[in-house]
Amino acid sequence: MKKLQITALVVLVVAVVAFCMLEAGSLLHLQSGFLGILSPITRSGSAVKSGIGSLGKDLMTLDQLQSEYQRVLAENRRLRAENNGLRDLQKDNDHLREILGYRERSSFRLVPATVLGHDAGAWWSTIKINKGSKDGIAPDMPVITDRGLVGKTTAVSANLSEVLLVTDENCKVAAKVEGTREQGICAGTRGNGGELQMTFLSKLADLQPGQKVYTAGVSGGIFPSGISLGTVKSFHARELDGEAVLEPVADPGSLEEVFVITGAK
Amino acid sequence: MRQAILFIILLVLLPVSVALQDLLPGIPPAQERLLLLPVVFVFGVIALPMVPALWFALLTALVHGLLLLQVQSGQSEMGLTLPVVFFLGWAILLQMASEATHGMRWELHAIGSALVTLTLLSSEFLVLCIKRGGFPLDFAVLLKIAVPSAAAVLLAPLLYLPLRSLVPFATASDASQLPKKPGFGL
Repeated sequence: MKKLQITALVVLVVAVVAFCMLEAGSLLHLQSGFLGILSPITRSGSAVKSGIGSLGKDLMTLDQLQSEYQRVLAENRRLRAENNGLRDLQKDNDHLREILGYRERSSFRLVPATVLGHDAGAWWSTIKINKGSKDGIAPDMPVITDRGLVGKTTAVSANLSEVLLVTDENCKVAAKVEGTREQGICAGTRGNGGELQMTFLSKLADLQPGQKVYTAGVSGGIFPSGISLGTVKSFHARELDGEAVLEPVADPGSLEEVFVITGAK
Repeated sequence: MRQAILFIILLVLLPVSVALQDLLPGIPPAQERLLLLPVVFVFGVIALPMVPALWFALLTALVHGLLLLQVQSGQSEMGLTLPVVFFLGWAILLQMASEATHGMRWELHAIGSALVTLTLLSSEFLVLCIKRGGFPLDFAVLLKIAVPSAAAVLLAPLLYLPLRSLVPFATASDASQLPKKPGFGL
C-alpha cells in the first residue's frame, strides 16, 4: 500500500511539473477539449434553466393568443411592405454605386447562437454560446446582436464556444465617435461595472453625452467597421489624451441570442 | 469502497459545479457571481486522505485554470501554474486543519470554502494587476471578492450535508467518537 501511495505521489509531482510547463498553444488545445467535455452538461443545464424560467410565462388565455396573433400578423405585413421598399432602394443603391465605380458593400454571414451561461469568474467577462467549430465558428470572430457589438470568440470546441465580451478589459476595439473625426480604443474595466472606457481621444474632443460610438474597422483588425458599440456618458481630458465613458449597447447580463460573424457574404 | 465512490462523485461534481455556477444568476445589485468550485474543492480535500486529496486538488486546478484561460497575443494571461500552486497549497493546509480538528467538520468546510474563495479571487486580482499594470482597488473590486466569499459560507452546508454520509470517518455524530482520519502518514 505504501508503495502505491509513493508511486501516486511521484506521478503527481511529474504531472504538476508537466502542466505548469505547458505553453499557450497546448493550453488552448486542452481548453478546447475541456469545453467539449463541459458542453453536454452546460447545454442540459441551460435547457433545464430555460424550461424552469418559461414555466407559466408562456401560458396565455385564448383572447391573449388571438390578440398576439393579430399583432404579429400586422407586424409581418408591415415588415414585408418595408422590405419591398428596401429592396427597391437596394437596387437603386447598387446601380448608383456601379455608376460611381464603388465596390459592392458586402453584408455579413451570420450564425445565430444561444447564450448558455455567463462565466462566473470575477475578472473576466465571458459567455458561452451553443455553436462551435461544427457550425463554422473559429477563434477571433466578432459576435453581435441586433443592437450592436457583443465581443469576440476565444476558445472554440465542436459544439460550444466562449465569447470575450466588449466589457472585458482585454477586449480592445478600435472605435470612432459619430459626427466627429475622433477615434480611440474601447475596452472594459477590471472592476467591470458594465461600462466601457474609450481612450486615446484628443484632449480637445468635444464629445456630448448621447453621441453614438461605432467600430472603426482598422485594417488587420477583427471587427468590421460601423457596428454600434455604445453611447457616450461622459468625457474628460487627461494629461496626454481624452477619455470617454460609454454605455454599451449590448447589456451583458441580459444577452440571450447573439450572432457570430463568420465572414462576408 | 465508500472512499472510491466519494472520489468518483467528487470528480463528477467538478465539471458539474463549473457548469452550474455559469448558469446561476448573479447576486444583485452588482450581479456578483457565485463560485461553487471552491466549495466542492474544500469538501474533497478535507474528506479524502492526503494522496487522493492532492490529486483532487490538481484536477480542480486544471478545471479552474482551463476555465479562466485567456490567450492574448500568443501568451496566456494566467496559465496553469497559479491555480496548481494555489490549490495544492490549500490542499495541504486543509489536510493539516482537518487532522487538527478530528476530520470532517461542517465549520471547517464552511470557513475553508470562504477562505479559499477569498484568497483565490484576491490572488487572481493581484496577478492581473501585475500583468496588466495598475491597481484599481475600488468598491466594485472589493464587492467582487467579498460577495462570493461570504456566499461560500452559506453554500457549503448544501454540499456538506448530502455528501457527509459517504465519508467513512465522518459518520459518528460526536467528534470524540470519530475514527482517526488517514492523514500524512504514508
